[in-house]
Amino acid sequence: MNTRDKPLLTDTYETIDAFIPDNDSIYIFGTAGEERCAHYSAWECRLHGVDFVRIVRQEASSFVANYKEIDYQILLRNTSQIEALLKVVGERVIYLDITGLSHNIWAPLLRNALALRKQVLVVYVEPEIYSFSAAPKEGEIFDLSERILGISPLPGFISFREPLEEEKVCFVPLLGFEGTRLAYLIEQVQPPGNKILPIIGVPGFRPEYPFYAYHGNQLPLLRTHAYRNVRYAIANCPFSLFYALEDIVKDYPDDMLKIAPIGTKPHALGAVLFAIANNRSVELIYDHPIRKPSRTKGSSKLLVYHASTFVSPSI
Amino acid sequence: MVNNISADKPQEQLSQLFGSYKAEWLRDEIYSLYTEPTYLPELKTSRPCLLVGGRGTGKTTVLRSLSYEGQFALNNNDPHQIDSWAFYGIYYRVNTNRVTAFSGDELPVSKWADLFAHYFNLLLCDLTLRFLSWYQRHRPNAQQLDAEACKRVARSLNIAGEVESVRVLANKIDDLKIEFEAHINNVANTTFRSLSIQGAPIDILAEALSQLPQFRNKDFFFLLDEYENFEDYQQQVVNTLIKHAGQYYSFKIGVRELGWRRKTTLNENEQLIHPADYVRINIAEKLSDDKFKKFALDVCNARLSKVHLLGQKANYDISHILPGLTEDEEALELGVKEVTKSVKEKIALLQEKELCRIAENLSPLELYFVDYWAESKGLSVRDVLNEISKDQSGWNTRYNNYKHALLFTIRRRKRGIQKYYAGWDVFVSLSANNIRYLLELVDQSLVAHLNEGGKLGDLVSPKTQTIAAQNAGRKNLSELEGLSVHGARLTKLLLSLGRIFQVMASDMGGHTPELNQFHLSEDTSLTEDIDRDVKELLTSAVMHLALIRFPGNKLTDEADIRDYDYMMHPIFTPFFVFSYRKKRKMVIAAGQLLGLVNSPKVTIRQLLEQHNRNPEDSLPDQLTLFEGYYLEHT
Repeated sequence: MNTRDKPLLTDTYETIDAFIPDNDSIYIFGTAGEERCAHYSAWECRLHGVDFVRIVRQEASSFVANYKEIDYQILLRNTSQIEALLKVVGERVIYLDITGLSHNIWAPLLRNALALRKQVLVVYVEPEIYSFSAAPKEGEIFDLSERILGISPLPGFISFREPLEEEKVCFVPLLGFEGTRLAYLIEQVQPPGNKILPIIGVPGFRPEYPFYAYHGNQLPLLRTHAYRNVRYAIANCPFSLFYALEDIVKDYPDDMLKIAPIGTKPHALGAVLFAIANNRSVELIYDHPIRKPSRTKGSSKLLVYHASTFVSPSI
Repeated sequence: MVNNISADKPQEQLSQLFGSYKAEWLRDEIYSLYTEPTYLPELKTSRPCLLVGGRGTGKTTVLRSLSYEGQFALNNNDPHQIDSWAFYGIYYRVNTNRVTAFSGDELPVSKWADLFAHYFNLLLCDLTLRFLSWYQRHRPNAQQLDAEACKRVARSLNIAGEVESVRVLANKIDDLKIEFEAHINNVANTTFRSLSIQGAPIDILAEALSQLPQFRNKDFFFLLDEYENFEDYQQQVVNTLIKHAGQYYSFKIGVRELGWRRKTTLNENEQLIHPADYVRINIAEKLSDDKFKKFALDVCNARLSKVHLLGQKANYDISHILPGLTEDEEALELGVKEVTKSVKEKIALLQEKELCRIAENLSPLELYFVDYWAESKGLSVRDVLNEISKDQSGWNTRYNNYKHALLFTIRRRKRGIQKYYAGWDVFVSLSANNIRYLLELVDQSLVAHLNEGGKLGDLVSPKTQTIAAQNAGRKNLSELEGLSVHGARLTKLLLSLGRIFQVMASDMGGHTPELNQFHLSEDTSLTEDIDRDVKELLTSAVMHLALIRFPGNKLTDEADIRDYDYMMHPIFTPFFVFSYRKKRKMVIAAGQLLGLVNSPKVTIRQLLEQHNRNPEDSLPDQLTLFEGYYLEHT
């Protein structure tokens, strides 16, 4: 891994309890039934200086946000509606907690918030552990997703850009533990064989996780020889991932990047920030898994990423 | 790169030549390894064509070979030949991440159809202009599209401003794509200023091209690959173009079996009909057994000839390198002599000269059958031998019916290889006329043979071939999950069906031999949900080659799942150990089929008990990996 002299704008808290959102801020969150999303109710009762926006329903094309007892139905491909929600909060700091939100919800929210030049801090809580699969098939370790809905673009990140030549594409899957998802994406994207550049989270949330990532993805990595091209970025650091993507652009300056954020959420955040910063040369490819509510147990570190400062240091 | 392979070890060369099974991964190299299929002339006519074939049957290779890049490569990259081509093909693989952008709850389908039609206009114009740019690069002195033609195309796309050249038109289309992209990202909030009429810009552009002297009397093809990736309504949009395409261009469509879900145009009453509207080319039908075998032999031998050994080319015939076994030879390999010791002793004890003489004339496998038949029918060995002496021809018929099936029983509940899968003809059968699977079987066999210290050109042992075939089955089973959103269900379906047919094959006593197909029972009491679920499962299984299907006894409607018989794709049979031959079938209820996926342990047991088999029968070595899936105590 390269050593870089670049900022990782992250506040790290060892436990959820060690973190308290600033007074006079807005905290946007959703719950996915996991233990690490269970603390919001307590916060809502306790933290009177913070306004909470609870995303109570997450659909493919829309979500419902509850703010001060009122439900707002918002279409994800309606910028005016998203902006209206974000404007309700005024000039206060926005905490966007992505732990319990699907990619298709938080990514357009973040994009619009940054476009409005809001001060956005993205929050993420690591799980203590992922649930092991009771009857694992080959390469399967954890029991994480029920199924996938299939490839479709994240709202707000649709791209019609085509590479100049078919070969001018780098496919960058951000690896998690589910090799099937990688195999599915490779089948669908059909990238040039020698330009699959996977990124694995190293160091992982836990020391053994990078090995699980290799194990889980070994079949597609071997079949495509992509194991030769693996790169690394800190698993819980979107900025580290961002810099790794910058390195790839330096190595393949004429290529379009097709990034598949199927690994950690902080990596997905890094990919989304990268797509925002490099609009026309990046395409996000996502398979929309239906998560099992019991996929994780407990909670570990809480991380706060200074997303708006990273994108626009003047904010 | 194929051009540089001579420096690599033979194993690496083989993996590059045979191991890059997918045309998509070979990219430019597909042209140097290209073998023309017999149905190609039909595709080269100016008529619209539908090329139907499963994964790995060569659709992409053929469509790419028709593209201008493919034709250029196949004509030795000679720019002087370009003007002599009879047609110019423009290839496009339907990109799921693009086309799914045109769906969602934000708009009704009719509105999505208008937006998609505009996008498709932009796409085809963009692809055509890329072709023109390529053409001008190679034929710089040729006449170019004039400003008036460019303006007309621009107007039809509602592009404002001066458009005086192809380059400007291409840039304007790119700008329009950016604007349209922004609109689709915010589609619930805005209406697009002006959409183009479906097909109009392409018609204008193609007509203008046909006026250029270099393209006069030439055909233009849009080669649309993976048509199944379109949403249903999008297929209707493109069907409308296919039906009403003008005289200046036509479409060649590559699609998986059952992937062409909508056959109407946007007018629900207007069907696309073969042969009036298009030519349907089903690869499986066109490359029926003998033709496929010849085609496959040409493909494999051509690739083998590219292997360099110490500077020498390896000219071998793959059908000779992969020897098979007759049933009698295989029985010996499986240790039938050891198994028949006891029956021999029984016969000796009979002390009847005539019966002993008959027994002596029987091959070990036939003798094994005598014992097997006696036991399964509750007869004595003497009874069976007497039956042979009375009706030799009747016995011969029976033996021939059971001979192959017997091989699965000789090593029942024993470790190691339980059945051999070896020989070029067997590999062709295992591939079920799928060139990708055949290349994989050949690759794995040859590489294993070399890794064992064998030389290229020496015969590959049946054992090595069998293990390679098992590995190919296992690999394709593990890959199935990643092929589609239904992949996990398909894997479960195969694990369940595979186990049922494996137990049935190894425990044949008194039952129908080589039972390895099924059809659905007629059940009118099914709920709509179950019916839809079964249809979706079987359609997906056929599309992704988990199952293959054959028309049943009735006149068939392609969409009616009950009109067909189904079989696991033969590539999986060496892994599960049952017969790859198309033989006998059983009936499965729709609910049971879903049960094989949703509650496999219970349903496997139920189906095996229904056929008087023991669900607790031990697993073959290679299936112990899936013990947790099968055994109820785990």
